[in-house]
Amino acid sequence: MSQASGNISYFRQKGDPYVLMTSLALLLTLGMVVLMFGIILFQGLGFFWPRDLQEITLKQGEIYLGEIWEEETVHFKNSQGRLISESEIQIKKGNRDLSGRDFIWFKKQDISDQKSPPLATAFERMEYGNFYGYITGLNLGDKFIEDSAGNLFQQSSKALEKAMANREKREDLENQLNQLLAPLAGLQREISLLEIDHSIEPEAQAKKIDQLRMELQNLERKIEPDYQKYSGLLQKVADENEQLFLLVQTAEGAEVHLPLEKVVRLYQPNRMNIFQKTGFYAGKLWEFIAADPRESNTEGGVFPAIFGTVMMVLLMSIAVVPVGVLAALYLNEYAHQGTIIRLIRLSVNNLAGVPSIVFGIFGLGFFIYIMGSSIDQLFFSNKLPEPTFGTGGILWASLTLALLTLPVVVVATEEGILAVPRANKEGALALGATRWQMIRKIVLPNAMPGILTGLILAISRGAGEVAPLMITGVVKLAPSLPIDASFPFLHLDRKFMHLGFHIYDVGFQSPNVEAAKPMVYTTALLLILIVIFLNLLAIYMRNRLRKKYKTAVF
Amino acid sequence: MIKSEQTIFQRRVDRANRRARFLITIGGYSIIVSIVGILLFLIYQSLPLSFKTSMKDLLIVELPLRVNKTQLIGIDQYQEISYFLDDKGEAAYYSIINRDFLTRDSIQLEDGEKIISPAKGSLNKEVFAVGTDHGRIITSEIRMNPRYQDNRRFIEPSLKILDTFTVALPPETEVNHIEKIAFCQNEDGNLFWSWLDHTGNLHLKIYNSEDDISFDYLLTEYLGREKVSTLTFSYDGEKLIIGSQTGELFWFDLSDEEAVYLRQNWKSSQFAITALAFLIGNSSLVIGDQTGLIEVWFPVRDENDQFRFKPIHQFKEMSAAVIQILGSPRDRTFLAIDETGRIQLNYSTSNQTQLEFKKSDYPVVAASFAPKADGIILLDQKQKLGMYQLKNEHPEATLKTLFGKVWYEGYIQPEFVWQSTGGSDEFEAKLSIVPLIFGTLKGTFYAMIFSVPLALLAAIYVSQFSPRWLSRIIKPTVEIMAALPSVVIGFLAGLYFSPLFEKHLMTLVLYTFILPLIFLLSIFLWRLVPEEKRMRVPMGWELLFVIPVLGISSLAVLGLSNPIEVTLFSSNFKQWLFETSGQNYDQRNSIVVGFALGFAVIPIIFTISEDALSNVPNSLSSASLALGASRWQTVRRVVIPAAAGGIFAAVMLGFGRVIGETMIVLMATGNTPILDLSPLNGFRAMSACIAVEIPEAPVGGTLYRVLFLIAFLLFIFTFIINSLSAVIGDRLRKKYARF
Repeated sequence: MSQASGNISYFRQKGDPYVLMTSLALLLTLGMVVLMFGIILFQGLGFFWPRDLQEITLKQGEIYLGEIWEEETVHFKNSQGRLISESEIQIKKGNRDLSGRDFIWFKKQDISDQKSPPLATAFERMEYGNFYGYITGLNLGDKFIEDSAGNLFQQSSKALEKAMANREKREDLENQLNQLLAPLAGLQREISLLEIDHSIEPEAQAKKIDQLRMELQNLERKIEPDYQKYSGLLQKVADENEQLFLLVQTAEGAEVHLPLEKVVRLYQPNRMNIFQKTGFYAGKLWEFIAADPRESNTEGGVFPAIFGTVMMVLLMSIAVVPVGVLAALYLNEYAHQGTIIRLIRLSVNNLAGVPSIVFGIFGLGFFIYIMGSSIDQLFFSNKLPEPTFGTGGILWASLTLALLTLPVVVVATEEGILAVPRANKEGALALGATRWQMIRKIVLPNAMPGILTGLILAISRGAGEVAPLMITGVVKLAPSLPIDASFPFLHLDRKFMHLGFHIYDVGFQSPNVEAAKPMVYTTALLLILIVIFLNLLAIYMRNRLRKKYKTAVF
Repeated sequence: MIKSEQTIFQRRVDRANRRARFLITIGGYSIIVSIVGILLFLIYQSLPLSFKTSMKDLLIVELPLRVNKTQLIGIDQYQEISYFLDDKGEAAYYSIINRDFLTRDSIQLEDGEKIISPAKGSLNKEVFAVGTDHGRIITSEIRMNPRYQDNRRFIEPSLKILDTFTVALPPETEVNHIEKIAFCQNEDGNLFWSWLDHTGNLHLKIYNSEDDISFDYLLTEYLGREKVSTLTFSYDGEKLIIGSQTGELFWFDLSDEEAVYLRQNWKSSQFAITALAFLIGNSSLVIGDQTGLIEVWFPVRDENDQFRFKPIHQFKEMSAAVIQILGSPRDRTFLAIDETGRIQLNYSTSNQTQLEFKKSDYPVVAASFAPKADGIILLDQKQKLGMYQLKNEHPEATLKTLFGKVWYEGYIQPEFVWQSTGGSDEFEAKLSIVPLIFGTLKGTFYAMIFSVPLALLAAIYVSQFSPRWLSRIIKPTVEIMAALPSVVIGFLAGLYFSPLFEKHLMTLVLYTFILPLIFLLSIFLWRLVPEEKRMRVPMGWELLFVIPVLGISSLAVLGLSNPIEVTLFSSNFKQWLFETSGQNYDQRNSIVVGFALGFAVIPIIFTISEDALSNVPNSLSSASLALGASRWQTVRRVVIPAAAGGIFAAVMLGFGRVIGETMIVLMATGNTPILDLSPLNGFRAMSACIAVEIPEAPVGGTLYRVLFLIAFLLFIFTFIINSLSAVIGDRLRKKYARF
């Protein structure tokens, strides 16, 4: 007995259990990382894969057609105290406009029949989510074809292409009309502003209003023919599209009139082979990256968010890199060891430690409410009280993030500067170069990898940061991109969309979270891939820098 | 020629050099400027919270009014025109800008009739009722509408009689005097009068404007032998409070106009009640008595679920009888005036006397708040009119209301409450920062107990025991983990893990028991292997030992959790928990947040402490090993002390990061500002509170400034933590790195 206990205490003193414990901790940590990435990969990548459509008949007689979404087993005691396990199935049955719900749960044991009919067709629509049913008829404008044997799919796809072309044409026309009418709206706004303005003499006011009205009329007359032309064309396209529709039978047997104009995509997943499915997947992926969001961000793409993120990060880089590099140069090339340098280092450390939301509230209070309002008063007073720069916008968000990422750039640049061999610098100075010449020709080129590392890390931080952005100018749906064809092309005052905020918004503030979830996972996956790519790039650059540093010692 | 070219070149080079030096120096200083700038800006925005209420004299002028005859005064919202109503029913309008009387209006009185009792009936309108010595009660309104002409504003005052009635004569009298009156016009336009006639009878009349019916009540019998000294209505016309000569108070409930009843009767003072007034919100009642005592009472739910008036705040005593109490039309500020003309400005909720002053040697006859509560006017016995500008921007935010327990209207006791916005104008913002600080600390606590052991142990393993190739993979992996946007972690925690945990709470709980159990068991089994064989296992292969442990315990948990939940916890652990301990399970709770926040800081703690541990000179551990210490003994006694500075810094930096983390707490907690230590509840953190509330906070308002104050606190927290980690880390490094 004493032998055994002595053995245990010896064993404990030697500490092998503790070593094992540390390895367990590492394993748990790694496990969590793998788990997180696994979840996002699995959920994010799977969403676009076309799932088979199942037609499920319940014992009660209901028939559903849709995608099987989730299965789970519940255990409970029934009234006699016996343990019961039941499997439940959730299917996405679409057709929200008909029944009000996309998803439905039912018990597996209630299923009386389940099949995957080859002719089942899924329709992705502009509104109300997906529609599932069987095509029974197609109207092509000049003729109506009725067929429920499944021969209509090809023709329907062609008709859909035509409808989509028409839709594009219509959007073009609408844009042109809007551009045509834009000056009119401006004039009308000016008039209505004048009417409520009491700061000028009534007579002068009336005179001016009359003058503006005249201008308005002239303008109206001038654009009249163009207006007629465009609206005529628009009407024609609309008429044509109205004649393109499908007759679709739902699983329950109801016949539904489905205008092709409202359909984005139609496919028969049960008849697709693996290559077709891959093609479909690629198409959806492309849509995700390149298209605008639909249905309050729960479908479609995230292009504006990607664009906004990139723009914001670029503006931020323009602001942060020069300052960060200058500060790093000062710390390493100019400042003498002493109080100032210690203060600056302390500031860099603390700037890195300040919570991002504090930067956010500073950005809001200082940039927007103080600087922005002053700019509005000086340069945009004619638009007041509607703020131009006095409200959140991409410029202020970028500046806020520039402050936030400043320490990252400083630290990385310092690392780069420190890697420049002393001999090179002293050599340059000994040859008579001024300090600036030395910095420009020796320090900066050699420290470039360090600066770039800082830039990349800053970009990665900026791409992932959300809290300060959501109070300085990010919105869930920006009406227009920060760059467009109208003067002055780059609109620094505009609000923008951001991938990180998109995740928060769609996942937490969307009216239909269940339907939005896959979109959130996919967006999160995209954001993570961007951030990981940037970080790998930074790690690579830093390793190169270190290697260079090693070889530079001669 | 050549020389001058050279000098030109030289000069240019010099100039460039100087310019560069200048620019770079600015760049260096800009870092200090930005951090100090942020700090100063936060202070600049939150400092006005501490500003004391101030008053400025705008105008003091003696008016040619009839001596001692003014009954009521009032002023318009732009503070341009004031009115004076005298006992003959004459309303004189006085232009404050021109310092001159304008037109007059008049309430037509009978010959020889005089107003003896006036009462205002609303906080935001100049509507009042006057009682005369002919037994008439006349209700009128003075409107002061702005009109614009030639881009100038004119105030057009006008008087309108709303209602006149003569009260019934008491038996065996010929005249009737309305001695005291209280009046109210509520938002529906219903009118309420209560008056005391000279025979000592107390009457109540309610006029329902919608149905055009009146209700009359005689309330004298309810009072017993008490003599009425003062009376008031709440502004919604639901409460009538009567104060008596002996300090008794009577609360009549008028919410059902057809069935008025005495709801509560209590004694608040030993002396006569001399002034009564409700504050905005119709709940707080300010009571002033003959000795100068001022108290605020409001109804509180008692044990029998009945609302009873209870004493809540007591204010500084005044030197003489309180003759008038005026509630502010905007907030819970009120003005108390005593017999001698001394005036107090009090804020009810914070129980603070903000100003105390005496503007005249003579008693005050009439007083009024400006409609925006940004000014007051006073008229003294010598017809001296004083107009004062009031700067009272953030009375609801004091040290006490921000950090202490406050008894708010509708609560049964003083509490820490954060509730910044409400539905109506009468809503009072409750801005206690304590629940938010508590929330932040709670989240930090759970995150730290989860992340620190894992991160430090993992760092020890990677730096000391693991094979080279493994650390070479793990370090960049963890670095990338550090770059994972917190919004992604927060979203996973909120949308994936919190429903998962809710569904499999039993599994989670079981795991925390079974994993250590199986781990200990396996170590015990491992010990049974003869030592020679154990020694032969190559270093760093512990992972191979641990992986099956993890696997077995996972399988065990998955297999066991259902049967255990069904048999021991009547098939629903959550339900069982609630029934046995009353513990509610929120889906977004501190466990989920602790897990997510911990996940977010593990890489930081890991990376820095791993660096510190790896940087301990090899000679130290080699010496220890050579002296016969085991691996673990070496790590514990030599390596960890030597790296203590770095480890401490790592933990502190992690701590700082958790405190300020916003998106995770925003998404994974329910954001409810409650004070509850239970890990199964959510909380609201300071950072998330800023993110949620600042977009809607009006610029310059109290909430806006309080949010800046919270940001300032966060800044200071992290500043202290950062500096501590630097200072103490350095010291530890010096202390233990002496080898």
